[in-house]
Amino acid sequence: MSARSGESLRISHVGLRGIVGRGLSAEQVVDFASAFGTFLGGGPVVLGRDPRASSVMLREGVIAGLLACGHDVIDLGVVSTPVIQHAIRRHGAAGGVSIGASHNAAEWNALKFLGGAGTYLSTAEASELLDLYHLRRFTFATWERVGRLRQEDDAIDYYLDGLASVYDLAALARFKVIVDCANGTSSRILRRLAERHGLRFILINERMGALAHEPNTSAAMVALQLAPLVAPAGADAGFLFDVDSDRVAMATGAGVPVTEEMMLPLLADYLLPRSRGKLIITNLSTTALVEEIAARHGGKVIRVRVGRQAAMDAMAIYRPEEIGVAGEGTGAVMIPAFRFVYDGIASMLAVLSMMLERGTTLTEILAGYPRYSILKGQVSFVPQRIPAMFMELERRYSDGRVNSADGLRVDWPDTWFHVRVSQTEPIVRVICEQKGEPPRALFDALMDQVRQYAA
Amino acid sequence: MPREHLLKIGVSGIRGVVGPFLTPQLTRAFAQAFGTYVGPRRVVVGRDTRTSGPMLQHAVHCGLLAAGCEVTDVGVLPTPTIQFYTARCGARGGLAITASHNPPEYNALKMFNAAGLFFNHYERSELLDIYHQSAFREATNAEMRGVTRDADAPVRLHIEQVLAQMDAERIRARRFRVALDAVNGAGAVMTPHFLQHALGCELQAISIDPGKPFPRVAEPGPETLGDLARLVREQGCDIGFGQDPDGDLAVVDETGRVLDNDDVLAVAIDAVLARQRGAVVVNLTTSSAIDDIAAARGCRVYRTPVGEANVVETMLATGAVIGGEGSNGGIIYPAVQSCRDSYAGMALWLDRLAATGASVSALVEGLPRYHRRSATVGFEHGRLGPLMQKLAGRWPEAQLDRRDGLKVGFADGWIHARASNTEPLLRIAVEAKTEARAAELFTAAEQVAADPSAILGG
Repeated sequence: MSARSGESLRISHVGLRGIVGRGLSAEQVVDFASAFGTFLGGGPVVLGRDPRASSVMLREGVIAGLLACGHDVIDLGVVSTPVIQHAIRRHGAAGGVSIGASHNAAEWNALKFLGGAGTYLSTAEASELLDLYHLRRFTFATWERVGRLRQEDDAIDYYLDGLASVYDLAALARFKVIVDCANGTSSRILRRLAERHGLRFILINERMGALAHEPNTSAAMVALQLAPLVAPAGADAGFLFDVDSDRVAMATGAGVPVTEEMMLPLLADYLLPRSRGKLIITNLSTTALVEEIAARHGGKVIRVRVGRQAAMDAMAIYRPEEIGVAGEGTGAVMIPAFRFVYDGIASMLAVLSMMLERGTTLTEILAGYPRYSILKGQVSFVPQRIPAMFMELERRYSDGRVNSADGLRVDWPDTWFHVRVSQTEPIVRVICEQKGEPPRALFDALMDQVRQYAA
Repeated sequence: MPREHLLKIGVSGIRGVVGPFLTPQLTRAFAQAFGTYVGPRRVVVGRDTRTSGPMLQHAVHCGLLAAGCEVTDVGVLPTPTIQFYTARCGARGGLAITASHNPPEYNALKMFNAAGLFFNHYERSELLDIYHQSAFREATNAEMRGVTRDADAPVRLHIEQVLAQMDAERIRARRFRVALDAVNGAGAVMTPHFLQHALGCELQAISIDPGKPFPRVAEPGPETLGDLARLVREQGCDIGFGQDPDGDLAVVDETGRVLDNDDVLAVAIDAVLARQRGAVVVNLTTSSAIDDIAAARGCRVYRTPVGEANVVETMLATGAVIGGEGSNGGIIYPAVQSCRDSYAGMALWLDRLAATGASVSALVEGLPRYHRRSATVGFEHGRLGPLMQKLAGRWPEAQLDRRDGLKVGFADGWIHARASNTEPLLRIAVEAKTEARAAELFTAAEQVAADPSAILGG
């Protein structure tokens, strides 16, 4: 069987993502940038990229498309997505483009499109952009209105000003923190944070460029290089960022990796008491600990389909001041003070602020939560058999509370599972969680049942 | 009704009106075809000062990087400087983003091989095949190279090369008063530097701000160089140089008269042959004055179809010491490099002034005198053949050359009729020893072209 196109290229509401040279080509980059330039109203567009080699090619194509549509382009160079989002608001720009494949392996790349407020596009906006892309009907400026490019080198400083207005950065200098930058954009930001505010970081994999390991923020990746170094370095905590610094994972001062699922409940526990907003927006695959935390602070959990787009659409339903925090089990969390963008650096500073406020260690804080055990698996699928698979699972587990908003989630007291089809890869994901010990029997049974429909 | 030529993709590259016609999509694809053709090595990219230049340059970079090439961005530079640096820095090829003398709404890509020369016919055909088939090389992340900037070395090395071929001391000693109109084009920064600092001229310059739009019609000529002519007269300059946006050259004499392009070339050829004997190559439509000048120096002249690539090919094959095209004043001096190079041209002119002590007008007066006429006549598609037949049949006694349209040669003059490559237009050029004979031949040729019976093949 030949490789499916979905394995090397995906064009969707989230934007353009693929393996450069195999699926993602310069042609699509220029077309997408032209579609985005056509989609946006007047005004400049902010651009930044991650340090992958292919990001330069994407940058050149994006600039060409945007200039051709008459937009001036402000190129921030190699910066994280949150820095781009911050700069969009500061410039009152029409929008922005973030080049980089975030937590994907080195051969991947992607374009993420950001609206005028620095937020991701809504589903309706993304649909319009996709239509323009597919129609290839672009509105190009005449020769005297072609846009101009300018470089801006100090976007990180403005972004740090924003962080400094929310966190007591000088006080956080009491902590010694070791960070695995995964050769991504976080190293530039953290160095500057240390220079300006005296924060103490030990950086590993801090050279931007070739990736020393996969840049995902799983607990396994924390355990690989970061966790063993925390205690010997005498650090209070360890953090691991993905390439564009929107996701973050942790290790305790004792060098114990913390599952990425913990980032959202931890930040919810810190933020909800200080926030007027009591809603936690998360997806159906995220730990049930979130509900327990919400209950402690009189909050409420809104669960939506998996994917950034569903979270954005859900957030658009509520007034911003109603929302306490939003995020997912991947370590990507949005904090209201930063206008709802996934920001790993802001999340790290929130965790450190929490340690400061409680005057205790990360280990101690985590010990205050009940134990939940989560098991995750994946199975490649045959598209035609997916409906039958869900019918069968729903019939078999009809004794639980059934939610079919995104595949199938079934809840019992203290146990739940979620089976869904990935939006980015041709696989079925199986997630199963239980308070206390791992739900091994349920998980194994589910994997067996799903495999019967597998490719 | 004649079609407006808003976009042209062909063997000469890609050219069009920016916006709805010349798009970043087409440009990226063409650059990726180019990168695929020359291979995953270094490619030099530069441009003129058009507003669309940066947009197209980024599209070019995108296509080249996608094909795995390493891009050396030399920024805004005259085309000959880009060509020189392409050959000098060991690149696999070069691209200049310039529509030369076309109006500001146009832009185009010019393609050079590893020697800095225009692609020849076969190279262009192969490139076009890759473009049309979208048979692009698609580099992976691991194979991807980057963009480096190199703004200073090209100017320095090109000027050094030009000076090495001249008696620069002799030129500097004269402290020529030189006027320049650089049309705010690619020569706007380099040419003042070249004339003032490299050649020690006292410079009176206008339109040398590369950030501003073209202040006049881009093509330099008698109708468009009024400001330069005035500057020459008011400042008492020895000579005036007018450039087009990518650095091509027109010359104004000390009285403010814009010289005929054929005369600009003739003086440069005489300047070279005065120092060094060797073959001369010009196109079929260049003045017979060249034959007289070469004969006086005992040198041979080769004629080629119109087009720089044709002239250069023959120059390389014959080991010519000088060449060019009278139609555009292009001077090709292989001792500097084998392409049209206005910097070699300016230096040759100043060198000739310094060597002879004569004025510009006196040098032109000293040239063999011919009288020239030219016109452009429209024809219907499909009727070009009968029209040429009729022209050939009109003068059975004449010598015929069919290498580029039709050239009808007489003892005392010639008629050259050739179709445009881009439009159904016939260009008729006539030259003769006397004004009366030129008028006679021109009228006869025009009559044939305008005669409907000729068009019907009668």
